[in-house]
Amino acid sequence: MDKPSRHATSMIDPTLLARVVKGDQQAFSQLYDHSSTLLFSLAVRILGNHEEAAELLQDVYLEVWRKVSRYDVGRGTPVAWLVTLTKSRAIDRLRARAARGYRATSSLEAEPAAQVADLGPSPFETQADQELRIAVGAAVAGLPQAQQQAIELAYYEGLSHAEIATRLNQPLGTVKTRIKLGMSKLRDVLQQWWNHGELQ
Amino acid sequence: MTHEELEESVPLYAAGALDRIERQALEAHLLSGCASCHSALKDYQSVAALLPLGLSPTKPPRSLKATIMAGRNPTPIPAEAAPNEPARPSLEPGEWMNHLFPPVTPARSSSLPWALGLAALLIVAVGGYFAWNVSTQRSIDTSNIKRLEASLQEKSATLAGLHREVGDQAKVLAELRNEIQQRTNEAAEAKEQLAQREAELEDTRVQLSQQSSMRTVRPPQDELATLLRIPNVRVVSLTGSDMAKRAAGFLLYDSQTQKVWLYSVNLPECPAAMTYQLWAIYDKPLSIGTFRMDRGETAHLLVKKVPSFTNAKTFAVSLEPSGGRPQPTGPMYLLSRS
Repeated sequence: MDKPSRHATSMIDPTLLARVVKGDQQAFSQLYDHSSTLLFSLAVRILGNHEEAAELLQDVYLEVWRKVSRYDVGRGTPVAWLVTLTKSRAIDRLRARAARGYRATSSLEAEPAAQVADLGPSPFETQADQELRIAVGAAVAGLPQAQQQAIELAYYEGLSHAEIATRLNQPLGTVKTRIKLGMSKLRDVLQQWWNHGELQ
Repeated sequence: MTHEELEESVPLYAAGALDRIERQALEAHLLSGCASCHSALKDYQSVAALLPLGLSPTKPPRSLKATIMAGRNPTPIPAEAAPNEPARPSLEPGEWMNHLFPPVTPARSSSLPWALGLAALLIVAVGGYFAWNVSTQRSIDTSNIKRLEASLQEKSATLAGLHREVGDQAKVLAELRNEIQQRTNEAAEAKEQLAQREAELEDTRVQLSQQSSMRTVRPPQDELATLLRIPNVRVVSLTGSDMAKRAAGFLLYDSQTQKVWLYSVNLPECPAAMTYQLWAIYDKPLSIGTFRMDRGETAHLLVKKVPSFTNAKTFAVSLEPSGGRPQPTGPMYLLSRS
């Protein structure tokens, strides 16, 4: 993947972060506009709760504002950096919640209306972003159900392969293989799309 | 771990599925400079970072942006201002990005004017930084304190939650202990009751055996008492002969049951190989039965079944050789008065 960010970079211009580094409040506002729907969707998916997801996003953006100078343009796309930061903080919250024996008060399944209502494209979403969103969605949906489930348990619930094996009552080796095959297939499908603009 | 195992763990690392030890092992390997694993990780991390794009987009609440914009500090804090940050969580994005893109050190210029220019710039920058540092130190400290306070508050909340949990567990444990104690008491009580029932059963057994032994002894006596209450039973009294002047007795005959009862007292002890024999005498003596009086015995009850001797007028007891005789051969000891 020599061109990993042709489309992803188009979502947030790295120079926007450079302006945020300089304390540009307008740039910070634009950064929020371009990334908040993606990060909020991720936070809701992990935490299963809109209120907590909003709290988390507040923490993440304030952290970005305070520590944004740590971001180096040469260290990956801004989107990858923001996604990883948000995911990391959300999983931390999830684990703290599990340690307190607390369970999500509302699951994603309990809020279908909210999801349907928010399905429309963001006003800031470019054509390239939409295409990428559709491509990733199709690549994930194209995985066998078992591989998709194992990857999602690791990625969105922060479970280790051993924990996933216990949860699914499957042998550890099976779970590892599912994740490995699933990630490999996603990589191949997305690489094909990046190189040729079409899904396998 | 072998290189193959480490390489195979790269997609799991990117998906976030490795446990801490495996993660650390792979990170150490990546830091050692393995190019193929670096390349693989770069690909998989790119894929992982794109995964949320596949989610259905959910817009945040409208008020969130205003809250965030209002919650910022006036200016971002330069990285140099917080060099002693606490260790970041392992999922911190900067870490894996370090593997992907090792920090680039600026190329050293060989040009002197450039070097001088840079030095001058550095002096200005350092001077400016110190000036800025003094003026902003206070606000930085305040923000640090706020962050620490927030962190402390969060930790306190977690601690309180854990305390509550421990309290709940302790309560459950105490309840279980009480229940166990109660069950133990009930078991002890049941055991006591069982012991009591066993004792009662034993008493009942003893009584039963006593009663049954009494029953084996008492029937003749009971029967005698019953006999005495029957109005038409025949009663004959006997007195001692010269052979035994102190001896006496009485004889009962119940025609219904056809039983003879001889109760004799003070008959002398039977000599060896001798026995007393009871006779009913009408035309000729009819033997009713024999009995012995042993040493120390003063009374004897003889019960015999006799078909009929309603006509008998006299009854007598004589001393005969063992086994008795068809006719009286020895001296008489008891005689009826008739």
